[in-house]
Amino acid sequence: MTHQPDNNRRKLIKGAISASTLAIVAASGLLLPKRVLAHWPSDAFTAATVEDALLALVGDAEVVDDKLVSFKVGAPPSYAVNGASVPVEVRSSLQNIERIAILVDKNPNPLAMSLEMTPDIALPFKSMIKVAEDSEVIAVIRADGKLYRTSRKIEVDIGGCA
Amino acid sequence: MAIKARDRIRAKLKEGQTTVRVLLAHPMHTGRGENEQGELIAAEFIQDIRCWRNDNEVLTIKCGTATARNPYFSFQLTGGAAGDKIMIRWVDNLGAKGVAETFLQ
Repeated sequence: MTHQPDNNRRKLIKGAISASTLAIVAASGLLLPKRVLAHWPSDAFTAATVEDALLALVGDAEVVDDKLVSFKVGAPPSYAVNGASVPVEVRSSLQNIERIAILVDKNPNPLAMSLEMTPDIALPFKSMIKVAEDSEVIAVIRADGKLYRTSRKIEVDIGGCA
Repeated sequence: MAIKARDRIRAKLKEGQTTVRVLLAHPMHTGRGENEQGELIAAEFIQDIRCWRNDNEVLTIKCGTATARNPYFSFQLTGGAAGDKIMIRWVDNLGAKGVAETFLQ
């Protein structure tokens, strides 16, 4: 019977440990949705110029204008009747792509979308964006610490930033 | 509200690669547009889209207001086998969420 108090103490300690682990699990579970929301880089998306948006999104990196990125905008290319849905397509022969950003120069907030890539993803990537007025549309790819940038001039008949 | 359009997702195996096409049903209001009465429509747009393949997160797309209404995305996944589960989850700026999933044919 001399072990009785010891056993009790062990139980108490065990109980305390499992309770605290539970608390941690619960806290992390509860925090998850908030963290997902907070992940949205609002600085980058509300920036008013292309330079600011890129700085907020990818930081300072050497920008290389490059032919390795092929980039199509509009259907037919370089012309879009309706600015509310302009097709874009990004292709590239680059390896180790970390991030892709699509920006529209003259839009109130230039950054249209930003993709975080994993090795499982391969290009081409296609999507639709809004273009407010005739403008440069820019695709920026970050790969191996360098930024590759290509742009296309696009004309729109009906502005699409409503 | 009438019948709400559903998010759609298709995955296809082609030449050893998986092509995923996603069409989300979302108004994507920028906060600058006006309704018929000339009042501003509050901003409501998808901010975060994530794609999973068999419980692995493979792609994150962050959207700004310049993403078109009813956003469409198409991208490739390297490799893939029939029966792979492709899942998309999105969250908009008001906290609304959506899920779409499909199995690779």
